[in-house]
Amino acid sequence: MNAARTGALALLLVAGAAAAAPPLRLWHAYRGAEEAALEQAVKRFTEESGTQVELLALPYDAFASKLASAIPHGVGPDVFLYAHEKLRSFREKGLLARADSRLVAADYLPNALPALQLDGATWGYPLSLKCLALYYDRDRVPSPPATTDEWLLQLEQLSRPEDGQFGLAYEAGDFYFHAPFLFGFGGTLFDGAGHARFTGKPMEDSLAFVLGLHRRGYLPEEASGALVKSLFNAQRVAMVISGPWFAGEISPEMNWGIAPLPSVSSTGLPLAPFLGVEAAFVSSRTQQAEGAQSLAHFLSVGDGAYLRATAGKQVPADTASHRTDAVKRDVFISRFKDAALHAVPMPHDLELQKMWEPMKLALRGLLQGGTTPEAAGALADRRYRALHRPAPPDAPVMPWLWGAAVLGLAAAGWAFSTRSREPFRKRYPEAWRGLAYVAPAAVGVVVLILVPFSVGIGLSLFHHEPSGAYRFVGLSNFTDILQSRGYAITEPLSFYFTLFVTVAWAAINVVLHVGIGLLLALVLKDPLLRLRGLYRVLLILPWAIPNYITALMWKGLFHRQFGAINALLVAVGVEPVSWFTRFSTAFAANVVTNTWLGFPFMMVVSLGALQSIPQDLYEAAEVDGASKWVQFRRITLPLLRPALLPSVILGSVWTFNMFNIIYLVSGGEPGGATDILVSEAYRWAFQRNEQYGFAAAYSVLIFAVLWLYTTATKRLTATEAA
Amino acid sequence: MSDVQLTNIHKSFGITRIVKGVDLHVRSGEFLVMVGPSGCGKTTLLRLISGLESPDIGDVHMGGVRVTDTPPRDRDVAMVFQSYALYPHMTVRENLAFGLELRKLPRKEIQTRVEEAAGQLELAHLLDRKPKQLSGGQRQRVAMGRALVRRPRVFLFDEPLSNLDTALRVQMRGELARLHRKLGATMVYVTHDQVEAMTLATRVAVFNGGKLQQVGSPLELYNAPTNQFVATFLGSPSMNFLAARRESGTLSGPGFSLPCGVDLGEVKDVKVGLRPQDLRVQGDGEFSGTVEAVERLGSDGYAFLQTAAGPLVSRFDRGTNVQVGDNVKVCLLSNALHVFSADGEAAILHPGDERPRVEVPA
Repeated sequence: MNAARTGALALLLVAGAAAAAPPLRLWHAYRGAEEAALEQAVKRFTEESGTQVELLALPYDAFASKLASAIPHGVGPDVFLYAHEKLRSFREKGLLARADSRLVAADYLPNALPALQLDGATWGYPLSLKCLALYYDRDRVPSPPATTDEWLLQLEQLSRPEDGQFGLAYEAGDFYFHAPFLFGFGGTLFDGAGHARFTGKPMEDSLAFVLGLHRRGYLPEEASGALVKSLFNAQRVAMVISGPWFAGEISPEMNWGIAPLPSVSSTGLPLAPFLGVEAAFVSSRTQQAEGAQSLAHFLSVGDGAYLRATAGKQVPADTASHRTDAVKRDVFISRFKDAALHAVPMPHDLELQKMWEPMKLALRGLLQGGTTPEAAGALADRRYRALHRPAPPDAPVMPWLWGAAVLGLAAAGWAFSTRSREPFRKRYPEAWRGLAYVAPAAVGVVVLILVPFSVGIGLSLFHHEPSGAYRFVGLSNFTDILQSRGYAITEPLSFYFTLFVTVAWAAINVVLHVGIGLLLALVLKDPLLRLRGLYRVLLILPWAIPNYITALMWKGLFHRQFGAINALLVAVGVEPVSWFTRFSTAFAANVVTNTWLGFPFMMVVSLGALQSIPQDLYEAAEVDGASKWVQFRRITLPLLRPALLPSVILGSVWTFNMFNIIYLVSGGEPGGATDILVSEAYRWAFQRNEQYGFAAAYSVLIFAVLWLYTTATKRLTATEAA
Repeated sequence: MSDVQLTNIHKSFGITRIVKGVDLHVRSGEFLVMVGPSGCGKTTLLRLISGLESPDIGDVHMGGVRVTDTPPRDRDVAMVFQSYALYPHMTVRENLAFGLELRKLPRKEIQTRVEEAAGQLELAHLLDRKPKQLSGGQRQRVAMGRALVRRPRVFLFDEPLSNLDTALRVQMRGELARLHRKLGATMVYVTHDQVEAMTLATRVAVFNGGKLQQVGSPLELYNAPTNQFVATFLGSPSMNFLAARRESGTLSGPGFSLPCGVDLGEVKDVKVGLRPQDLRVQGDGEFSGTVEAVERLGSDGYAFLQTAAGPLVSRFDRGTNVQVGDNVKVCLLSNALHVFSADGEAAILHPGDERPRVEVPA
């Protein structure tokens, strides 16, 4: 009786579990109010449909690669939210399912859907729109400009650069912010053949217009997002071009408004920003296509859209929510909707990805380097051609495999012929115990060093297509790099130029680190120095602060207009220096920053070494007739050598690969001239269309250079020890 | 002239007063040994002569010229350090030549001098080694050589033999004495070893507590120490001191009574000083006591006794059988009595004196 009852209960439980489908998985990268609104919308969906949804918030930076690796293995989400610009990449990797018949074009604002269309189908449900608009300070700009002529008049009145007052601020060095001008002057991104286009009258006109804004002092120099924000909040700029995200950064005291960007008076065209469409995509590998499609659709229209607009302050892509009173009354949303109507959906074409770096180069050259608009366009075109070399031809794989096999056999044969006659157990009686001790470290070495190293070397023989495919190309990457194909040896993109810069960088840094470190160590060594402990702590401090923080601090100090260093120069009557527009000054800025970071280590090493030199040697030398300088040269330096030499070798290798400082301080400016080999490798891998194989070849070359260097210095230390 | 004159030297380190007013004249060409217990200021004085330290008060003259503020390199002195202070990164040859190079001597001259010194000190086969490849004795010789090649006006030695074993020390002592005879240079030598002082010195200067106690030839100091400290410091085993009371012509204490042929005046309480070498364990004598320890130095030796007047060390001759626990008698050889004031600060009488050296009131 009892047994029967328990059995029935168990059966019921099993049946219930089978009936309840697993929850839908929804991945997104929202935070704050947007995330809260999404949660509300999803809750509403569950109430209406009875389907459970499991939300997972991912960090934005890792989101795309996470999707690309999870979905093909069937462990990804059913639905994910992402901007449309990755559409083609997602599609080519086969991550997306088509939107089904639920999607009705009339439900959405007119330019939202085209952004999600590819190969004759629509691949997602548009959620919200993002584009640039004009923020203005109502206290000083009573009505926003409708045309560029009006705009220029207003800017002329609002700008007093000598007092630090500017009419307009935006991140002028970034092509995303320049695109509205290109479109406003009638330009297009691509030529007839679908290739990126950097020349032509509209491009030149747009660059000339921006240059005019800059020349007349309407714009602050070297504006970053953070600078734009602080200037606007300090009422030192009257207008800002930025996107919806900027609203959250404005201080509550400000009385501000938003308007679409004005039209260009000469062409009559609006300054049309890029339109970003955030969409709900259904995974190609979802097990619950019906539920997933219905969730994605639900979020894009009706209550889903309304909740996101009212609670999350998103600009919804559907039309219905814009007709509700609550959304209509929201000036922020309605103005951004107006701006979005003029916006150009950002192409998801890979060709656009290739435009960012050349355009950045052109804009920096224009605004900071004194390049003319025509030359700037040509500069970008040249850089574009250099960066996007044609894929090398496929190389036959078989000879390589044979080669590897022969090498492997030879190695095995050699190992066999040189093996000891004595049995292993006899030679190493405690081998197992020894292995147990070594194992943890050995695992670390294998996982963290050997595997990545081998993968890196292997990767350097491949060409990576942005679509995700790898093609075997043999040594083509190396020959391209070493032949400096596509650019002269004396140009920043050439391997030899970068190598030269890197070697100079390492050498100058090490000399300064050791020089300054040693000097300070000599001062600190004096036991009679008052507050010696305090000085020592203060001088070690730069070393104790995480170096990216220091790098960002120095980057700020070197700012052309607001940096403390130029302020000091001006105070003593020197012209302010535009640090990052010339190679010499940008390089110097990097060196100063890295020296600041590097001298404490050498100081500590020197101090230790100095204190180990017996005092009576100096007394003996003193009696022998040596002056202080001779004592330093003949006693101190030779005795420091054994202690300093390893540190110098170590320091030079560190500096050789000091990515953080280069990336954060000069960022390779001007035009990649101050990039060192590692930062160059990074750019090839992550900023130039995923040329992983090419970047890996760079890394292998870096390894080769450092290997040669350490081999040479090892000899040096060996003779030293003898 | 390469004499050294120290005048009223005072030197403190922080609040510690090391040298408290020293006047000392080192004569040209003499071998002056400064001895004293650690902390007595002898090394500081040597460094003051070298110029590595400068006095708080007082003056240093060399060859009649005031050099108080002259840096060491301009004083033409050479110093041998206790730690040797050889330059570890230079070969022996470079160590020897260093001072000469700095003085811009011609290359030829340097080579000659280095080879000469190396020959003298038996370093010729070591010239291309580094200090760490040498034994202690060899390093010591290099340190000497480094001073030697310089041919300075004044040699300064800071306990140069203290890191050597006994045999080497004896050998080097001989070397040093020979060297001094040969060069005839002024040498100032710091040690705490009284044997070195006695064997090497032309004159010995004894320091205690930052003050010069006495300066004189080794025998002068041995025979006529100016106070109890000097008497204790020189001679091994140390002089015995017994409290005594003067009554007319005799000095007596518990269990002993010694005749004193010299009229000591009114003084009542004194200390008698008796060198163990002047005492003999014999069948009969002025003292009697129990043997507590015996130090045999071969045939003869010293017996450490407990007497009614206090501990007493006495020599015994070949053939005398002394065992621990024996009750023995000790006699004083004639004309060997030292008398000091009761506080030990002044010597009243030394053997051979015909009248007391100081008048000590009763």
